[in-house]
Amino acid sequence: MSGPAVGSGGGTPGGDPASEGDGVLERSLRIAAPPETVWQYWVDPGRMTQWWGVSAELEARPGGTCRVAMAQGPVMEGEFVEVVPHERLVFTFGWTTPPPGGTPVPPASTRVEVTLVPDGDGTLLTLRHHGLPADQVGEHTEGWSHFLGVLAGTAAG
Amino acid sequence: MTYINTVDAALRAVADPTRRHILVLVRARELAAGEIAAHFPSMSRPAVSQHLKVLAEAGLVEVRREGTHRRYRARPEGLVGIRAFLDEMWRDRLDLLREAAETEARDVAAGRRPVIRPRRRMQ
Repeated sequence: MSGPAVGSGGGTPGGDPASEGDGVLERSLRIAAPPETVWQYWVDPGRMTQWWGVSAELEARPGGTCRVAMAQGPVMEGEFVEVVPHERLVFTFGWTTPPPGGTPVPPASTRVEVTLVPDGDGTLLTLRHHGLPADQVGEHTEGWSHFLGVLAGTAAG
Repeated sequence: MTYINTVDAALRAVADPTRRHILVLVRARELAAGEIAAHFPSMSRPAVSQHLKVLAEAGLVEVRREGTHRRYRARPEGLVGIRAFLDEMWRDRLDLLREAAETEARDVAAGRRPVIRPRRRMQ
């Protein structure tokens, strides 16, 4: 459990979640540091490993590698999709733990979107993690009403 | 790290559009394997069965056997558990990110640390 936030950032440690019932996982928090500083913690391996992973390989350009190894073994592996320095970062996100002696299977890809907005001397960071299983079957999605209509039209099992 | 393996399996499961479609089909009602396969007329039955197996092993669907038939339904705990795990992961990670970035900003403002170029770290 995290302790109280240090500094003048304020708000809930780890940020506030978006309202319940929304399919996309979303968290926002204010950081008492400028966007140019916060940005480095996403694209500089030496800084990233201060908060996520024990080693990192980050090529911050569309198509570049995004790879973060956890202490216990699993490796988060993805690719940068959008890179707008100090403003917006999108990368795909999946895990791969190399199977013992087996053929590695390409990891699943969900998508993480990070936006940084200046807020006085600080930064408002919003993270959205798209494509999670609950997101895929979320009742809020357009496709759901279509499928409800289809189910209503089919004969009962 | 068993649960990360489960989460990983679930993320791989939904990386496939057919499996996403199946999840939506069985979201609110239980369907037999044959009823599910009818939604994918150009796919062989073994291929559909393989997709169902992946979903079941990832804990995303429940399987109920009725005689020789298998019936499938989305498993809400599977969906909710994964979201909760990742939500907590991001909450904890972002908290650490904030502490690190704010410490750096304070150090720079106080002259304890110069504004430096990002360090390269080859892995």
